[in-house]
Amino acid sequence: MQAMVDASDGDIARAVSARVPGAAEAAEAELYRRFAPRVRLYGLRHLRDEDEARDLSQQVMLVVIEKLRAGTIRDADQIASFVLGVSRTMSKDWKRLDWRREKLRETFLPASLVTIPSWDASLDLDHLEACLARLADRERMVVLLTFYAEKTASEAGKELRLTEGNVRVIRHRAVERLRTCMTSR
Amino acid sequence: MHDIPMMPSCQAPISDALLLDYWTGDLSDGDEMNALEEHLFACGECSVRLQDVAALGAGLTTLARQGRVSGIVSRSLLNRLQRDGSHVRMYWLAPGETVPCAVYPGDDVVVTALRADFSGVEAVTLVVTGPDDVPFGRVENVPVSGARGELLWANPAALLNRMPSIRLQLTLTSSGAAPVELGRYVLEHSATALA
Repeated sequence: MQAMVDASDGDIARAVSARVPGAAEAAEAELYRRFAPRVRLYGLRHLRDEDEARDLSQQVMLVVIEKLRAGTIRDADQIASFVLGVSRTMSKDWKRLDWRREKLRETFLPASLVTIPSWDASLDLDHLEACLARLADRERMVVLLTFYAEKTASEAGKELRLTEGNVRVIRHRAVERLRTCMTSR
Repeated sequence: MHDIPMMPSCQAPISDALLLDYWTGDLSDGDEMNALEEHLFACGECSVRLQDVAALGAGLTTLARQGRVSGIVSRSLLNRLQRDGSHVRMYWLAPGETVPCAVYPGDDVVVTALRADFSGVEAVTLVVTGPDDVPFGRVENVPVSGARGELLWANPAALLNRMPSIRLQLTLTSSGAAPVELGRYVLEHSATALA
């Protein structure tokens, strides 16, 4: 398994395609571990919905692994680009894909493989609350408008009577302060 | 935050500012976004850095939904909280008014709306003092506008629940070299919910 963790994306894709018993399963698990969180992030960014992002991630990985198993991906070294392409296509057609999602879910991978580690569970909310309280009022307002109210820099700027550039600078500084605060105790 | 997993170090890391712009929707569709997404899918290191931004955003959203925000909030932020089902208790005060206030079971956040004439005023400073003028809080340089404006001061209900009964004086002045007083307000906070 360690060999898989250290392998390149292309080597892992080739191992899935080769379908050698034992090795192929480990390769699929590593491919999933590596790319599912990236697809989930892509989904969160474009669909802005946690459940849909998780579903998208599972379905994209199912399609990718199926294509690799079938040997229809020509250049294994371009697997990252292929995963992105499938993510783009699927997220655009997301609403029309309900029937296919169900079909895919029934067809391909064992349930044990299709779980994505939750990366936000590790965040200490009490500590984050304290860090947020330490920000200057304007910084706090900008990060809340950005991350919670989902305002762009331009929209937040109109609300706070700041230029878009100002909002970006304040936001960048505030996020840096939050990161520094979160890593120091 | 995250430990970077063992993998080849990124040769061309995406800047933090660009990652933030991407995540917050400030990067328009086009070649730059396409190139950035290609990089993110191929680079474990940068995708983990984006995960950290996403996790921070998710954490901030959770805090807001739980009413764990304090300080000045905008009207749109308040509307969003209410739309998301947060239990917001509002107290409105005009200059010179004294208002009794308390936290009730189920409250998530308490918002005090200070009304004032902000004509010709670009920004204000809010000073909150307790008995004997003991400083309680200060917020500076908050942008405002309008003859019938309001400043929204938020506090988590859980925090106020731990406070004793106390009389708070709030003073609003214009910010700048020659501050002008715009209003004084009094909150009579009761440690136990009013009947």
